[in-house]
Amino acid sequence: MPGSALERLSVLIVEDNQHMRSLLRSLLNSIGIREIYEAGHGSAALAVLADKRCDLVLSDLSMKPMDGIDFTREIRQSPKSTNPFLPIIMITGHTEKHRVEAARDAGVTEFLAKPITAQSLFARIAQIMENPRAFVRCASYFGPDRRRKAQEDYAGPWRRSDDTQDVHVR
Amino acid sequence: MKKADFIAPDAYPQPVSRGDAARISRALKSSGVLENGARVIQQSSPLLRMGVLDYVRALEQAVGDLATVFDKAHEIRGFAETAGLRATGRIADGLCRYLEEAAKLGVAADSAVVALHVSAIVRAAHAKDEASRMSDVVARELSALAAHKLAEAKTGLAAN
Repeated sequence: MPGSALERLSVLIVEDNQHMRSLLRSLLNSIGIREIYEAGHGSAALAVLADKRCDLVLSDLSMKPMDGIDFTREIRQSPKSTNPFLPIIMITGHTEKHRVEAARDAGVTEFLAKPITAQSLFARIAQIMENPRAFVRCASYFGPDRRRKAQEDYAGPWRRSDDTQDVHVR
Repeated sequence: MKKADFIAPDAYPQPVSRGDAARISRALKSSGVLENGARVIQQSSPLLRMGVLDYVRALEQAVGDLATVFDKAHEIRGFAETAGLRATGRIADGLCRYLEEAAKLGVAADSAVVALHVSAIVRAAHAKDEASRMSDVVARELSALAAHKLAEAKTGLAAN
């Protein structure tokens, strides 16, 4: 798609398997994305982000020495983070609920289940571009709003049943 | 005292304008782009297959080390189908689910069940007719065996 806005996007792939990195790069190339950086684990990815501007991250969950959960937490919470709002797509084959919940609570934007398909990857990218998530900052969490759907029939000020104090909307 | 800040998408920098985002979204859902993407995956499958076979070799060598067996089986299940090794992926998925379920129950995984899965993964990954009916039968039988062993373990736990 020459001339499209996709050509101006830069993407970081964080994946310990070189074959999967290569496949993801080819898929991104096929939609016109040219500026692509690669890292084999979370620590290497943080080094890339300290030096390069990236608009989107595709990250594996299981990696060593730093996995995708700790990497996400660093992006969202570290004072050194260059963009705490960076969209992160977590690519995972894990079906264990606690691992998926841990990734969500670290601040992942979207999940992409393995085995990946072109359609599933492109759908996540489209979702992030067209419907960017609101962010929430509170004492125990900073990251995308974990509740995706607003209740249309509810007009009150609280977001949870135990909310009894102010929620500030910027 | 405030409880939380809610930061709307307009209040932080976006990588593209709303107009560009809508155009990108339309483009990424178009049939031409999706067909092209599917072709990319198909063309990458020989390379991916080599990657899966690397994991299969590591899996074979890891028998007895359950943590490594799980790690490698997990990589295989995530990778194999994209590489065109559907039956290999399915059997690896069965092994991962069995190990996850056994861990959840707090019981030791049956070494024979693990060994049978590993052996089936190795055979399927190297078979010329990988996606054959026989591979499906093997995957089904192994799944039934794993379910039976887990049911036995649950009964044993309930009795204690």
